[in-house]
Amino acid sequence: MTVEASTPAGERMTLNMGPHHPATHGVLRIVVESDGEVVARCTPDHGYLHRSIEKIGECVEWPMFVPYTDRIDYVCAMNANLAYCVAVERLLASDPATTVVVPRRAECIRVLVAELNRISSHLIAVGAMAMDVGAYTPFLHGIAQREAVNDIFEKLCGQRLTYNYVTIGGVAFDLHDGAVAEIAAFLDQFEREMQRFNRLVTTNTIFRDRCAGLAVVDAAQAIAWGLVGPNLRGSGVDFDLRRDESYGIYGELDVRVPKGEAFAGRHGRQGDAYDRYVVRLLEIQESVRLCRAVLQLLPPAADKPADPLGGHQAEVSKILRKVPKGAVHVRTEAPRGEMGYWIVSDGGKVPFRVRCRTGSFTAAGMFQHVMRGIFLADVVAVIGSFDVVVPEIDR
Amino acid sequence: MTGLGHAVDTLAAWLAGGPPGWFAVTLAVLAVWVAPLLLLVFPVAAFGQILERKIAAAIQRRKGPNSAGLDGPLRLVFRAVLCLLPRERQDRAFAAFCNLVPVRTALLWSRRLGLGQFVADGIKMLGKEDIVPRGADGAVFRFAPYLALVGAFLPWCVLPFAQHLVMLETEVSALFVLATSGLVVVALKMAGWGSGNKWSLLGGMRAVAQLVSYEVPIGLAVGGVVLWCGTMDLHAIVGQQYAPGVFTLLGWNVCQGPFLLLLLLVFFVAGLAECQRSPFDMAEAESELVSGFNTEYSGLRWGMFALAEYTEMLLIGALVATLFLGGYQSPIGEQWLLLLPTWLETLLHALILGAKTLVVFLLMMWIRWTLPRFRVDQVMRLAWLVLVPLALLSLLGIAVTLLVAGGTTEGMAYGRLAARPRPDLSWLPWLLLWIVPVLAAVVLVRAANARYGGRHPALRRLTGEGA
Repeated sequence: MTVEASTPAGERMTLNMGPHHPATHGVLRIVVESDGEVVARCTPDHGYLHRSIEKIGECVEWPMFVPYTDRIDYVCAMNANLAYCVAVERLLASDPATTVVVPRRAECIRVLVAELNRISSHLIAVGAMAMDVGAYTPFLHGIAQREAVNDIFEKLCGQRLTYNYVTIGGVAFDLHDGAVAEIAAFLDQFEREMQRFNRLVTTNTIFRDRCAGLAVVDAAQAIAWGLVGPNLRGSGVDFDLRRDESYGIYGELDVRVPKGEAFAGRHGRQGDAYDRYVVRLLEIQESVRLCRAVLQLLPPAADKPADPLGGHQAEVSKILRKVPKGAVHVRTEAPRGEMGYWIVSDGGKVPFRVRCRTGSFTAAGMFQHVMRGIFLADVVAVIGSFDVVVPEIDR
Repeated sequence: MTGLGHAVDTLAAWLAGGPPGWFAVTLAVLAVWVAPLLLLVFPVAAFGQILERKIAAAIQRRKGPNSAGLDGPLRLVFRAVLCLLPRERQDRAFAAFCNLVPVRTALLWSRRLGLGQFVADGIKMLGKEDIVPRGADGAVFRFAPYLALVGAFLPWCVLPFAQHLVMLETEVSALFVLATSGLVVVALKMAGWGSGNKWSLLGGMRAVAQLVSYEVPIGLAVGGVVLWCGTMDLHAIVGQQYAPGVFTLLGWNVCQGPFLLLLLLVFFVAGLAECQRSPFDMAEAESELVSGFNTEYSGLRWGMFALAEYTEMLLIGALVATLFLGGYQSPIGEQWLLLLPTWLETLLHALILGAKTLVVFLLMMWIRWTLPRFRVDQVMRLAWLVLVPLALLSLLGIAVTLLVAGGTTEGMAYGRLAARPRPDLSWLPWLLLWIVPVLAAVVLVRAANARYGGRHPALRRLTGEGA
């Protein structure tokens, strides 16, 4: 619901929400002009976490940029790795001489880790959203499950947050012994756990009524403002890059795309905060299904244990010393929506340009528009519903 | 005599050995009013804080405080008692004492339960700088926490802890409770305004709007009980809830028909709002207002607000018990309790009241760590469009019951208080009183559910029910 601010512009109170506010995820600053409890105007202010990652991309060699992609979105580092690697592979494929074929097992592992990371990223999103609305407990339950995913990743690549696992041409390590059983067991208990999570918070009347009809973005607006990923689908647009512009082995998988349908019922509208939230939960379910499907597809490990990924790593590094001239823009579906890389090569071993397009940036641009006339208490809920992650905005 | 209550009068007269002078009266007031509050409510509230942290931890599948035991305080005690001995001998004695099996076990459990946590927290709080921000209104800012404490503690004066343990006997104690607890509103407003911080100001405004609104349903709920019992004296209200026979709890107000049960719910929900507990913690909503009215407070002043909040929670618990759950009376076999020696009876009564309070307290914590927070407009809507009409409905129901029941019998009240008449319900009207409104409520709820309760199939899939 929205209320018109009645106080004239000069008499309103200006509130600085952030950069150090307990509820703005990271160092996001929002300047709120409030008329009592009603937000009259709000202006997001970015740049507190700018680290020049794209400029760094012009200074380091092609494979050396992968660890930096981790830092672009550390909540789902696997997907960030994957996006860059897929883009470079696409560029390499422009010349048959430099084409890199990713081994099938590596492709499967890529999808597996990407979907697991999507699960853990969405857990942060929905947990933080519940926390913003005032329920502290679901966040911790979500974190507990995310920890389980992190445990799997730690065994896989030694890291819990910034993995540097997906490499150009494959993945850094093969699955560890017993990984398949471990992941299958995790998925089983995770599904039950999510049902409890949903009974606790998703269907809670207070939570539903807080989010129903809040910050409604209809489909046309969502497209016009460039929303991507779950935010776009929450508005009822049926679009998912994994299905519509597939990469890797996503084409072989049956990717189902949930979209917002005014889940909140009576007071809800398509594209409100609750829809965006529920779409994330439905995507978690889909990711669980995709993980199981990939575990079925996974070919047996290579015979030579020392070289589980087809023994072409040395070859790939040789190719990467001379990447063919050209430019390519490749989009992938990360948890926060489209993560696209525009990379330009001048034929050397260092990229000429690396430009990243991320979902949080456009979502944050939407704040000014949707936050007019809502209550101050809902500002954080709206931020949570768009699931912005600040390093992704500032890069 | 002094108008300060029976207990003060008696003690002052005993101290002075005749008609008491001002010194004896002051001593008696300190002994009867202040000391029990300090000795009882402070530790209980501090213990409540540990309890809350443990319960929150259990709900969130953490361990909570699990390292701070009572070893440190015990060592301090040893140091103090054996201060004349050299340090090594003190330590040796302490180690020997701690090695005794029961002591070792007790210390282990105190660590596991984090019992030393409130000592540690208290010392930490005392050590913090008392900061008054530059833009703050100094005097208002400094005074607010004291006022909050006063508002939280004063109502305890009239609460009957046991048959012979009431600090201040007055005919209008129910009104006294409502009036004095209203002081907290002023304190929160002062804190919000005096801090010179926009978040605090918003928190203070929210607190005032919320507290003032919820005084209405609370007042109506208390009014319903007063109407039923025919007295404003809390002690008499407790006495009215006595019933002869083994199952004393049949006399409790909550068993006197669905309208009083409804009033209990209204009182509890409004009470949650009165002590700013989740889901009504908008005034200090962390995720919205940083910390609301106490954003700028630190150290002991912050601690006073925290203590006031816990004291108020306990107060709501005690009031729920007093007004609806028979006060200090035992649920079964109250009349046998009365045969015990006075000191034992008093102790048992106080413990029973404490247990009932604790149940309500635990319920509040369970709610806090489970539910999300209401929004400002929803809080107001709940107060004015749900709780007030429900309370009015109950008032009407109680009035009609009193009218229909017609004759009254002698009250069952015992102790110092005179018996007051109460409605005479034989089992048939009693049963009808329950069945008719409950049936009506069930029909209404089912109709509402059929109309609005349909859940989207995707949500049903998410929660694992159906499909």
